[in-house]
Amino acid sequence: MLRVEHLSKTYPNGTRALTDVSFEVADGEFLVVIGLSGSGKSTLLRCINRLIDPTEGKIFWDNIDITAATPADLRHIRRNIGMVFQQFNLVKRSSVMTNVLSGRLGYANPWLSLLGIWPDEDKKRAIKALERVGIADKAYNRADALSGGQQQRVGIARALMQEPKLILADEPVASLDPVLSHSILQYLEQLNKEGITVICSLHFLDLVHRYATRVIALKDGIKVFEGSAREIDRAKFKEIYGEEAQEVRATAL
Amino acid sequence: MTDNTTRRSPFLSGLFSAIVPGAGQLYNGQRYRATAILVGALVVLGMVVWYGEPFWYISPVIIWLWNIWDAVSLSAGRTRSILAPVLFSLLATYGIGWQVVQINFKSASIERAVQIVRPMLRPDFVTLRTEKNSIWVPVQVPCAPNPPKAENEINGIKAFATPNCASVGETVIVSASGLWPDTETQVWWQTPIGDPKMLGENEAAMLVIKTDSSGSLTTTIRVPSTALAAAPDPTLPFQHRVYFEQFRPIGGFVISSNGRYVLQGMTETLALALMATTLSIFLAIPISFLAARNLMSANPLTFGIYVVVRTILNIVRSIEPLIVAIIFVVIVGLGPFAGVIALAIHSVAALAKLYSEVIEGIDPGPIEAVRATGATWVQTVRYGVVPQIVPPFTAFTIYRWDINVRSSTIIGFVGGGGIGFFLIQWIQINDLRAVSAAFIAIAVVVIVLDTISAKVRERLV
Amino acid sequence: MTRNALIIAGLVVVYLASYRVTQIDFVKLISEAPKAQTIVRAFLTPDLFVRDFETTTIRVPFPIPCGSAPEADIVSSGPRLVPSVKCAAEKDKFTLEGFSLAPNADIVVRWHFPDDRVLTAARTQTDDKGHFSVAVDAKPIAKSINGVPSQLEVDTNTAVGGWKASQSLKDVMQEIFVTIFMALLSTSAATIIAAPLSFLAASNITKRGVFGAAVYYVTRSFFNLIRSYDPLVMATVFGFWLGFGTFPGVLALTVVTIASLGKLFSEAVENIDTGPIEALTATGSNRLQTVIYSVIPQIVPDFVSYIIYHWDINVRISTIIGFVGGGGIGFYLSQRINGFEYNKAGTAIWAIVIVVWAMDFLSAEVRKRLT
Ligand SMILES: Nc1ncnc2c1ncn2[C@@H]1O[C@H](COP(=O)(O)OP(=O)(O)O)[C@@H](O)[C@H]1O
Ligand SMILES: [Mg+2]
Repeated sequence: MLRVEHLSKTYPNGTRALTDVSFEVADGEFLVVIGLSGSGKSTLLRCINRLIDPTEGKIFWDNIDITAATPADLRHIRRNIGMVFQQFNLVKRSSVMTNVLSGRLGYANPWLSLLGIWPDEDKKRAIKALERVGIADKAYNRADALSGGQQQRVGIARALMQEPKLILADEPVASLDPVLSHSILQYLEQLNKEGITVICSLHFLDLVHRYATRVIALKDGIKVFEGSAREIDRAKFKEIYGEEAQEVRATAL
Repeated sequence: MTDNTTRRSPFLSGLFSAIVPGAGQLYNGQRYRATAILVGALVVLGMVVWYGEPFWYISPVIIWLWNIWDAVSLSAGRTRSILAPVLFSLLATYGIGWQVVQINFKSASIERAVQIVRPMLRPDFVTLRTEKNSIWVPVQVPCAPNPPKAENEINGIKAFATPNCASVGETVIVSASGLWPDTETQVWWQTPIGDPKMLGENEAAMLVIKTDSSGSLTTTIRVPSTALAAAPDPTLPFQHRVYFEQFRPIGGFVISSNGRYVLQGMTETLALALMATTLSIFLAIPISFLAARNLMSANPLTFGIYVVVRTILNIVRSIEPLIVAIIFVVIVGLGPFAGVIALAIHSVAALAKLYSEVIEGIDPGPIEAVRATGATWVQTVRYGVVPQIVPPFTAFTIYRWDINVRSSTIIGFVGGGGIGFFLIQWIQINDLRAVSAAFIAIAVVVIVLDTISAKVRERLV
Repeated sequence: MTRNALIIAGLVVVYLASYRVTQIDFVKLISEAPKAQTIVRAFLTPDLFVRDFETTTIRVPFPIPCGSAPEADIVSSGPRLVPSVKCAAEKDKFTLEGFSLAPNADIVVRWHFPDDRVLTAARTQTDDKGHFSVAVDAKPIAKSINGVPSQLEVDTNTAVGGWKASQSLKDVMQEIFVTIFMALLSTSAATIIAAPLSFLAASNITKRGVFGAAVYYVTRSFFNLIRSYDPLVMATVFGFWLGFGTFPGVLALTVVTIASLGKLFSEAVENIDTGPIEALTATGSNRLQTVIYSVIPQIVPDFVSYIIYHWDINVRISTIIGFVGGGGIGFYLSQRINGFEYNKAGTAIWAIVIVVWAMDFLSAEVRKRLT
């Protein structure tokens, strides 16, 4: 269980990205965070695995205080939290295999991994992860030789290598077209069904309805809504996104 | 490894590789590996044979043995790590390189470095503004029967010598009065043709004496042994002079004579780079069209011209301007003009190549679009081609000008003008303070120009 | 409007001043161009191969007066002397022709008397084909003695054996190797030093806090300062310090290369994509692992490309660094030029052209593959 208490973040340049945000996520939930661009979604997700240090507030995960973890503890915690990014964040010039294996770094022998030496077990695990996302045949291609959707699947495979209990997905489909969006989110849904908690930021109402078990909404860093996906209707959506925002249908199916 | 290739005989694999490195690998179907091994082995072998030191033969031998082992392993379906041969190739290359270039850190004496750096900390660019006080007294060498009196007075400063005359090596007492009190005064000898001679220790140092509180000084000197060196007949008496000179600062600085040379050198350097770059633009533009493949490959004749032009450009480009300058110094004599021509020739070759690549990379889209509006040929060039090539041309030209400024600092080493002409002479006469002034001037000018040109290029791209 | 006018006026002034300062004189360039004939011709005919020569003496017996001795048989091929008459009376004049001798050589025609004394009969030169023709007097002193005739003889050089590499070609080969090694060592040493330094000069890595900013600016300024010197300028100082030779040349090259590689490297580091760093940090890997798996793969291709580019440049510079005492082919070249041995200098220049060209081509090819 993840519990966020009175979280605030002010960037060094004075931007107040989050103000007093509190919520809870039960194990096995698919929580979707919505909000305008700049509303603080990325900041929130990055505070959870402390890629960004929050200014105030606490985050507990299974009653461990993430915000107070020492660097060594933090690495241990991060190992259990996979992350998927909007821009995929792959090393483009490395092979798909290397990118996927790098998800295992938190477990690997620090010295052998520096030499690029991996146990056979990890290699098998990587192939299996790639098989799960359906691109095992691309294992030895360079990452930048793949299409956007394939790259995001590599990103998911990399997160799978961590054997995570929680996956943070920061707008995982914002760089993809609608058809691909569904296929990527279906992988996340599948993982969620296997018991992995997912926290995912999204933009499109129909995607929210389709995948979320619960939704929170941010506006200018303040939590303005928390509830089930069904409670978000078009009016509510307009309220969060502003009057002039057109709801874009994310499906062409 | 996967075994979808058919297995080959280990014996034959080894044998082939023993005869020609890489052959066994080729036999096992590894073409890339085979080429790499063959080329690598040949390069290392050639290098070792050239150097001739028996010790290094160990490298090709080990590579050869490894290559046999590798071929045999390949036939059994195993690929061996190439670490060992790579390591031994590098070992031989760097070991031989180290010896060939005579790396010798012992010669890097810190003491000498300090001796060099210390004067360089006081660049000779400006000197204190000073005023001068001086007087001289005539002394006849050698003695005639009736030597004139050895005394002189200018502006209230008096000087005299006893005796009035002397021969080389004899002692003379000289004194002066009315000078500034308590001031260091240089005393030196001047021959009738104006040569200065020093009177200090071994005639190799300046004799410096402090005046007393009343501004007088008296000292004994010895007529310098070289006083008559240039005299047509050493027995003829002539009037030589003994000079007394005092300097004192009067506040402020003036540019020193070397400082003036630095300024002159840097002006020449800049002018040289500017003229060379400008000249080269005019020549490079037409040539670049001849060297653009897409324009010239229409028929065999133009393609022939293209090949010839490219070849000439490549040859010229590989000769450094410094070498070209030697020829032009022979033709037009020492001075910046030789440098201008040398730099211009090299720049034409370099720019024409870059320009021609720009022309080759022109996007036909805009040309088509302009033509589709019904534009004439001239209009098409003006609106479809020129906008595409002018910014990169300008950027490359500015880049070349940068390079030319740097090159023009050295073209003077062979007489091509610019700061290098002075710099090399200062190095030769060990005038490190002047060298240091030149270094500072170069850094300032180059960095300023670099910054400006980077800004300009940024705007263009 | 006025601004443009001012700029144009400024440019005109600058150009006029530059024109005067650089003493441009195209008339002189053209009228004096023939001065370069010898030097350019020598450069174009480099001293590459030589043959060994043997001096042989060719003789033809010449009875004076006729019948005093047997006449010579006429040879019709090979190096030979052919008098216009087979014998002559005293004081007669005749022509002597020589065939297939060394071309363009000075020839001394001698009488070789029966008592083995010799006397110069005429001096001339052979043409391109090794032929000469000269008038000779049948001197009374050359008459036959006891039926033995005097002989006419000339010395000529004939080539023996095949062509072989000249000494200067061998020297040039040696120096070219040295030059390539100079470039190799300086580039390698510079890489080893510049790679870590470049991280200090990368704003995204170093520029944090006052101390970081200070380190960043110091390294940057160092790079910019050193880069402003041409390697040859640097070499003058190192030569002055270490005595002339290859070592100071290599050191000077290394220092300048550190600065330019350092700058290029740091720009490569500044341009890295930070996404993968974030991603790897999020997986719980430590800092070193993050650098190895996300930073290194991004920068290595650029680094390698820059290293090869500089190795190419350094080969070029090594060819001239010897002009200021830095060793290598440049030193050989400047020595030959100072000694007016332009054919040998030509050998060096052609070697430079070939090597630089080859390096240029190779480095361009390799760099094309890298991206
Ligand atoms: N590194 C940063 N430094 C300063 N301000 C930032 C930084 N990252 C984000 N911000 C600001 O914080 C606010 C929230 O940003 P973000 O969390 O990226 O929003 P979202 O992901 O919802 O688009 C925005 O106003 C943004 O400009
Ligand atoms: Mg965001």
